[in-house]
Amino acid sequence: MVKISVLQHAPSTHLPARPGDPTPTSRNLDPLMHPFARARERTRALNAVKMERIFAKPFIAALEGHVDAVETMARKPGTLNVVASGSWDGGMIVHDISLRRHILRVDEAHKGKISGVCFADEDRLLTCGVDRNVKLWDTREVDENGAGPSDVRKPLNVFPGKSAFNSIDHHRTDPIFATASNIVQIWDETKSAPISNLSFPTSIETISAIKFNLSESSVLASIGSDRTFTLYDIRTGKAERRIVMQMRSNALSWSPTFPTTILLASEDHNLYTFDIRSLKTPSQIYKAHVAAVMSCDWSPTGHQFVSGGWDRTVRIWQEGRGTAPEVYHTKRMQRVTSTLFTSDAKYVLSGSDDGNIRIWKARAHEKLGILDSRERAAIEYRESLKQKWKTDAQVNKISRSDFLSLFASVYIVADRQLSSLSRTRHIPKPVHKAGQLKRTMLEAQRVKEERRRKHTRAGESKPTAEKRKVVIAEQS
Amino acid sequence: MARAQKPKQSRRPQAKSLKQNNLRGFAKRQSLKSQRSSKYSESSDVYEYQPENVRRSKVKLQLEKDELDGARRDISGSEDEDDGPKRNGLRPRLVGENDDEGGLGSDEDEEIDSDEAFDESDEERFAGFNFSTKTKSVAKRKPQKRSLQSRTVPLIDLNEDEVELEEAPSENASASEGEDSAADDEEEGDPEDFIDVLDMIDGKGPAESADEGEHTQKEERPSASKARVEGDDVPHLEDEDEDMHDEEDEGISSDESEEDESHISPMDDAISASGDEDDDVGTSLHDLQSFITNLDAGQKRKAPDDEAAPTTETGEARRQKRRMLKERTEAGEENEFAPHRGATKLNLDDLLNPLASSSSNLLSLKKSAKILTSISAKNQTLSAPLPQRTQERLDREAAYQQTKEEVDKWSATMKKIKEAEHLSFPLQAQPAGRTSNLELAAKFKPTTELESAVDRLLKSAKMREEDIAQTESLKMNHLSVEEVSARRAELAKMRELMFRAEAKAKRVAKIKSKTYRRIKKKEKAKIAAKLGEGSDDEDMNEETRMKHEVERARERATLKHKNTGKWAKAMRARGDLDEDQRRDISEMLSRGEKLRRRIQGIGSGDESEEGEDDTEDDEEGAADRIKASAFEELAQLDKGSEGEEDSGRKGKSIFEMKFMKDAIARDQQRAKQMADDFVREMGESNHEDDEDDELTGGRIEESSGATIERVGGRVTYRPGAQLRTVNSLASDTSSITLRSNDLPSDVARSVTPSATSPIPEKLGIATEAPNPWLAPRQDPAKAVPKKHEIAVSKDSASVEKSKNKLRKKAQKHEEEQSKARNDAAVDISMSNVMTLGDNSSAGPSKPKTRSQSGNQRDDGDDDSDVHSEVEEQERLLDRKGKGKANGVKAFEQRDLVARAFAGDNVVRDFAEAKRREMQEDAPKEVDTTLPGWGSWGGTGTRKAQPKPHLIKKVAGVDPTTRADYKKAHVIISEKRDKKAAKYMVKDLPYPYTSKAQFERSMDIPIGTEWNTRVGFQRGTLPKIVTKPGTVINPLEKLL
Repeated sequence: MVKISVLQHAPSTHLPARPGDPTPTSRNLDPLMHPFARARERTRALNAVKMERIFAKPFIAALEGHVDAVETMARKPGTLNVVASGSWDGGMIVHDISLRRHILRVDEAHKGKISGVCFADEDRLLTCGVDRNVKLWDTREVDENGAGPSDVRKPLNVFPGKSAFNSIDHHRTDPIFATASNIVQIWDETKSAPISNLSFPTSIETISAIKFNLSESSVLASIGSDRTFTLYDIRTGKAERRIVMQMRSNALSWSPTFPTTILLASEDHNLYTFDIRSLKTPSQIYKAHVAAVMSCDWSPTGHQFVSGGWDRTVRIWQEGRGTAPEVYHTKRMQRVTSTLFTSDAKYVLSGSDDGNIRIWKARAHEKLGILDSRERAAIEYRESLKQKWKTDAQVNKISRSDFLSLFASVYIVADRQLSSLSRTRHIPKPVHKAGQLKRTMLEAQRVKEERRRKHTRAGESKPTAEKRKVVIAEQS
Repeated sequence: MARAQKPKQSRRPQAKSLKQNNLRGFAKRQSLKSQRSSKYSESSDVYEYQPENVRRSKVKLQLEKDELDGARRDISGSEDEDDGPKRNGLRPRLVGENDDEGGLGSDEDEEIDSDEAFDESDEERFAGFNFSTKTKSVAKRKPQKRSLQSRTVPLIDLNEDEVELEEAPSENASASEGEDSAADDEEEGDPEDFIDVLDMIDGKGPAESADEGEHTQKEERPSASKARVEGDDVPHLEDEDEDMHDEEDEGISSDESEEDESHISPMDDAISASGDEDDDVGTSLHDLQSFITNLDAGQKRKAPDDEAAPTTETGEARRQKRRMLKERTEAGEENEFAPHRGATKLNLDDLLNPLASSSSNLLSLKKSAKILTSISAKNQTLSAPLPQRTQERLDREAAYQQTKEEVDKWSATMKKIKEAEHLSFPLQAQPAGRTSNLELAAKFKPTTELESAVDRLLKSAKMREEDIAQTESLKMNHLSVEEVSARRAELAKMRELMFRAEAKAKRVAKIKSKTYRRIKKKEKAKIAAKLGEGSDDEDMNEETRMKHEVERARERATLKHKNTGKWAKAMRARGDLDEDQRRDISEMLSRGEKLRRRIQGIGSGDESEEGEDDTEDDEEGAADRIKASAFEELAQLDKGSEGEEDSGRKGKSIFEMKFMKDAIARDQQRAKQMADDFVREMGESNHEDDEDDELTGGRIEESSGATIERVGGRVTYRPGAQLRTVNSLASDTSSITLRSNDLPSDVARSVTPSATSPIPEKLGIATEAPNPWLAPRQDPAKAVPKKHEIAVSKDSASVEKSKNKLRKKAQKHEEEQSKARNDAAVDISMSNVMTLGDNSSAGPSKPKTRSQSGNQRDDGDDDSDVHSEVEEQERLLDRKGKGKANGVKAFEQRDLVARAFAGDNVVRDFAEAKRREMQEDAPKEVDTTLPGWGSWGGTGTRKAQPKPHLIKKVAGVDPTTRADYKKAHVIISEKRDKKAAKYMVKDLPYPYTSKAQFERSMDIPIGTEWNTRVGFQRGTLPKIVTKPGTVINPLEKLL
């Protein structure tokens, strides 16, 4: 039988099945046919990581308006763009961060600093200040009193307290809120006096911050000037447990996806996550700041968090990874007193001493705007390549390097100073120096400790784990 | 008060434990209550969550056993009993707690309600004992009451003893007395009465008058019953005062009530019986009760403080201190409100006596009372409350435990999130608002004007949903019975048919017969063809399209010149034809004829016997035939020459002479060459044809067995080649080259093709100077195309076919081999080689040599492989020299090779090289001493030891640790590859546990080039996916 070769045309084999689909490609998947796959992918990984560094430009905008340091910020639940901020001068502004304008601005919301803001429900905002008042505001364009955006706003309600308030937080669902002064007080929105006082007996401290748990919304946590962290439950109406730490904490934040996890920003330059089921030791220590950490906030995904420090940097951490956070800084940003993630986990806000609120990308190299599917696939591919090849020395080196020094390492390899710089990100010199100093001090401490141990009887003093050093006492 | 007047018989639980509980529970409550009252009286604000508070505090009590140990070591059982109710109290709150809302307040309310309800019913039952009043007073003066209660219990105990002693004698008298006194005091309904009695009982210790004894005796039963009743009743009463007690009390009381019921059930009969006799007994009871209420009314008023006499039984200093009881003195005159107490103790039996006449259940009552009293003996005192700080700490501890438990409910979720490979946020998708049309329609209410207008219209037209439904149902209503039955029958029929069709299909699907299938397929095809006229490409699947395509192509290729074409058919069918058409037809026919002739014409002249059918088979067959005939001719020619030779050898002639022989040989050689050329040409083409048939594109190697080879994903089957092992040791080869005694076996083994092989010429043509190291791998020459021994029918399985092919090949190969062997054998016989010159005429000696070669092969097999290389060369030389017909050349070549590799001892060299390598890498010490430096010179100086600091130690690689240690045939370099080092990792990266794991993960590329689209997408999916512009809310408890 003569063999007849047939010309045939089956469109389904090489045309997309539906209009939007990618064109089907036929290729030989036999690994023997691709001897250079690995080499090619490595090169791609290198390129990907270089691109990342090149496009790493996190700063987006600064929101102005405050005259003094931005003490506190709060995002409106359920929205992406509405953020309220309170300042040391008593001014309160509600920002629309996508349009970068003020929705509401009250210059004299409180006398003295506004120590806390939080949204009560849709349009109502609670602020507390050192003037011993909690005020309830309507944030709508035209409020109940008929005051428009340009009018002077009057608070809807004022809850007078006995001492200066340091923090305020609203219950996630119920119309109650908690304030922190020298005690923790639970208020009903409809009542002018606190409905209950919570305090750990024998404590005479100033509560500096308070937060409701997000998922287990009756659980409440506070930090105090007595280096304490205290856990409350409004169902039992008790302060349930307290831990005393080496240094006081400046801020706290509950994880949105891990309800038992709480993050504390400590004065000792570190951040700690605790599992409230076992408060004896922190579950993780996050070390990179070179000065006190002033604020912290979880990403809504619970896999990242942002912290702002006295060292004028904003750092973005991966949950569970205690070192090497992403560092954001600008020349004019001063001490960062408040930080916030937006509720789509894409942006980070930082309010600082210079009175500005800055908007940053949560991932510095992320491309903003609409992506088509091919581009997204390419980006995802690059990300996974980076992940896969992070063990490669060169890839790793570049990923740790800075934008500037990347070019230095690529083009001016001969220059030794620059190439040595390429090891890490560029950070402001004072921060760098402070880091060096800190390292020296810690090293000295370590050496001293070691020597001390060497000169005591064997087995008498054992080195304690870092985690065990954090909590001095757990009180019930 | 009013409702309390009617006396009723209280139920007495028989179970010992129950009573115990009741008593203890009561005592405990009292103590707690007093404690609390002191605590809460000052706190004015009412925090909603306070009840919770109390509950927790209770939890605390239970939790800290060690704390309470000292205080109430005697109440061992009660704690266990308390566990149940407490837990019940706690649990509903925690579990059933509403998501985010406090939810506690409402919860509580419910409990309170139920509590109250219960209490009310209870009250009726125990109304006779006037509890409400009593408890009110209790509430008023708590501290005292606590002490009183604690005192009552021991009293009962004492009584119990007495009861045992005096039971029989005292009964009647006490009963009558009780009645009398009851009658006296009936009217007095002082609210405080009951308490007073208690007081009196308490105080009885020091001074016991006979009267008092009687009173107390009477008192006995109410108090006993009260002990259990209060468990039920107190909560309600306390509710009025303090809300915080609710929780706990409810827990206990409900539990008790449950127990009550369970225990009492056997007693139900008794109770009902007593109920019947209520009238009879009622009066006496009533008397008794009223008597009791009136007892010592004034007493209490006068000396509430005095009552607690220094009790002799309880001597413990601590307890006394706590209780703050004051010595009791006789105060006031004896009157109806304050009867004097010199009498003997009031006995339980005194109280029971009135029942003696009527009660069938008296005995049981007595029994239960006995148990009650005996047990209460141990329960002398209640614990003192803990210090407030301790208490609070315990509270906090318990509260923390609860919170921990609560948050621990998230642990599974958290674990899942932590372990997830991919997370798409928001994690908790908002419940999609998938509202069906129906739902919308049901909910729809016209709001706007337009809507309402439309609605009105619809309504007027009766077109709204409900109207339509109504009309439909109406229609159904109008159907007659017959119609309905007909419908039903139709439906049933359809169902039946469907079922049958299904069954049939199932049965058919099971048939395995091939013929049946074939027939079926044909039928289907027919149907499809019929239907398929109209159907277009789209619904044709690939297979059928392919089939169609093939068919069409075949038609194109075959039918153009035949009268079976579509057009031709049409023409034939048409019948009458015009000029043009006729011409066309004739043209077509003539073309067909021409083609046929062309195919057959070149071949043999006799095409007449070839059939008229001009299929492809025929064409091919013709070509084959032609070839075959040509080969035959050649063979004939050969044979002729052989014959000539033979004859020539025999006769002595001029041809015997050397020069003539030479000339003849030359001529023959030339002729041969021509023949060979031809053969090769034909053979190759033939071969190609063969190859065409089989689909494999691989080359065919000479072999005897089949090998399956896999090259780059495709499997090819072919006759296996017994390839010479190329990796046979070189050293062996070289050494063996020199040995001439191997020769026979070598030659015997040689697989040289026959002299007819065209290879030498071919090679000669291809390369001017033949490479002696190259051995030809195949011998495609084949003079005669083989007849198929086994007919392979068209429809035989493909396996069969391929097998057949293999067999064919193997056979071919075998023949060649045997031929070669023959040749070789001929070569061996030296004389023949010399004389014959050409060994192409091996025909006559064939049988002999075959056997010979067989033998030789047998014994030569062992070492034959190693010689293969040499053989190859020799063989080649042989072939090359064949044209000159000089066998000696082979030996020359051998010598040449031996000489060429004379000093080439590869194995030794290799070993040497390896040793050197190892030595170089080995760790060593280098003495870096500079002679003359740092040492003394001159005569008489001893040579100093090398200074240790001048000895440089080079840490090399220990020979035993080398990778090639004990591997004789390889040298593995231990040197570091600097270029490769760039791509190495220092240590195993974190998540991996083994090198292989890591390498494997790095080996797999993730790009689109190496993966399917889905694989790529899956491989590059990021761990956390967030959608831009989507609010991610914190986790929420979902109900």
